Amino acid sequence: MIALALQMLRHDGAKFLTMVLAVALAAFLTQNQASFLVAFLGMTGSQIRDVREADLWVMESDTECFDQAKPLKETAVQTVRGFEGVEWALPMLKLDTHARTESGKLSTITLIGVSEDSRVGEPKMRQGEAASIYQRDSAVIDPGGMSLLYPGEEFRPGMKIRIHDEWLELRGVSEASPPFTGFPIVHVSHATAMRLNRAESRSTTFVIGRLRSDANAADVTRRIRESTGWKALTRSEFEAASWKFYSDQGVPNLFYITITVGLIVGIAFTGQTFLMFVKENARAFTTLKVLGFTHHQLALMMTAQAALVVALGLSIGTAMVVGTTELAKSLPFFRGLYLPWQVSLACCAVIGCVTVLTAGLSFRQVLQLKPADVFRS
Amino acid sequence: MNAVHCQQIEKSFGSGETEVKVLRGVDFTAHQGEMTFLVGPSGCGKTTLISIIAGLLGSDSGSVELFGESIASLSSREQILFRRRHLGFVFQQYNLLPSLTAAENAAVPLFAAGMNRKAAVAKAADLLDRLGIGHRAHALPRLLSGGQQQRVALARALVHEPRLIICDEPTAALDHKSGESVMELLSNSAVHPDRAVIVVTHDNRVFHFAHRIAHMDDGVITHTESSAPTAATH
Repeated sequence: MIALALQMLRHDGAKFLTMVLAVALAAFLTQNQASFLVAFLGMTGSQIRDVREADLWVMESDTECFDQAKPLKETAVQTVRGFEGVEWALPMLKLDTHARTESGKLSTITLIGVSEDSRVGEPKMRQGEAASIYQRDSAVIDPGGMSLLYPGEEFRPGMKIRIHDEWLELRGVSEASPPFTGFPIVHVSHATAMRLNRAESRSTTFVIGRLRSDANAADVTRRIRESTGWKALTRSEFEAASWKFYSDQGVPNLFYITITVGLIVGIAFTGQTFLMFVKENARAFTTLKVLGFTHHQLALMMTAQAALVVALGLSIGTAMVVGTTELAKSLPFFRGLYLPWQVSLACCAVIGCVTVLTAGLSFRQVLQLKPADVFRS
Repeated sequence: MNAVHCQQIEKSFGSGETEVKVLRGVDFTAHQGEMTFLVGPSGCGKTTLISIIAGLLGSDSGSVELFGESIASLSSREQILFRRRHLGFVFQQYNLLPSLTAAENAAVPLFAAGMNRKAAVAKAADLLDRLGIGHRAHALPRLLSGGQQQRVALARALVHEPRLIICDEPTAALDHKSGESVMELLSNSAVHPDRAVIVVTHDNRVFHFAHRIAHMDDGVITHTESSAPTAATH
């Protein structure tokens, strides 16, 4: 009976294709945009996650995300170290500045100073050694930065960038997570960062630290906040705050619109085509009723038809998303892009349910067919 | 034995000023082993009557018994199952499913009954062979002539060995030769001592196949005549 249903569906090739492509389009648009949204918002916490050793972030009270931070007083590190429950604390200097290559290519960059003593926040490396940043006038750059500042060029030792009239030699390419801003991430030693920090008198953007294993994170951060007036967050809280900051800027709205349009277009096309399919096959369905097919059997047939459309459509749509995601990941700026299985599952579940629902609405048409009409020529 | 026994069937459509009384107290009987023709002008109520006999339409009053069982007393699901098991249909426009081959179309009642697809198609193909169209068993309906399609429809009506076959204008869409051929096949293959065949038609060229002819006009059976079919051979 299911084979019979699928044979009926496949026979009307144009409608079958329309329905499958409509579901595929909806699956592609929703999954693609949802994964972009998740990946981009995930990038707002890239540099927080990259400092794997720190689970405490202290910053000036107005700071809302990693990219928009005001520096703290020099004494902030000592102050944080003084709180019970804090195992260690270090200064982290982050600068938003400009870099120019020897060929004159200019870009805004995010410069991060890594403490020579602790090496906390040292990046993983794709090429070269992380320890090379502690050499005088040295830096490492992320892959996105390489492609922005040296388009089409491979990294080679001896490349130089100029920051505030000082030339730094690039000694490697890091695996720094792609930032939301898309600016190159340049890691240098804390001492080099301090030297380049000419615009600000203060040289501590964040105090990063680790909580003792027996410490209550909520209690420690509360005490720091209450006694200093600074903002003290755990790593996950800071990531969430950065995510929220960019979400509140309206970044997701465009994605939401595309996701909604994708759903509406896909569902409207599928539903309409399914309804047309049922209407055009009204005589066949009526004949089946007269020949002894029960409503239960007809419902099973239509469910099988809808299931085939959904399965093929979702498979094609998902394959397209996987393909485009892999393609996009080869571009440095999109290297953080991925398709979370939860996003894929949720999108497929919504599209699948709604498509089956539209098939259910079409089934109402079948229920309303009058068997006696079979004798009408 | 009476296969179909209708008493005082009445049926109206619409209400108030638009009410049309289609059946006005029809008494009708069809016997097993016979081919009963229901004839009359268009609009006289023939199709409404067979719809009520088949359980596809309810009557306003009167009773319908098929093989001694009152159709009205069955639930709608029981009516469907009764129809599936005991009734076969041949339609004027054949009503074959365009996506299925001839053998698959003929096997549809077996699919409805839940028979294994392969076995059902094999049984239907065998029947098509006996009806002289076995060589077209794998053809889609659009590749068959009108006469061939009606043979497939006839196979579909017979494949589950029903006790009553209802044919609605089976020759109306066919030329005389094809119509004669289909009626001969119907007469030879469908008429059986345990089975009744009702044929609705106004094609008087095929009346000679009938065992009994019920004449209908303006919602009533005006008279019934018995005849010895001249072309039927058993």
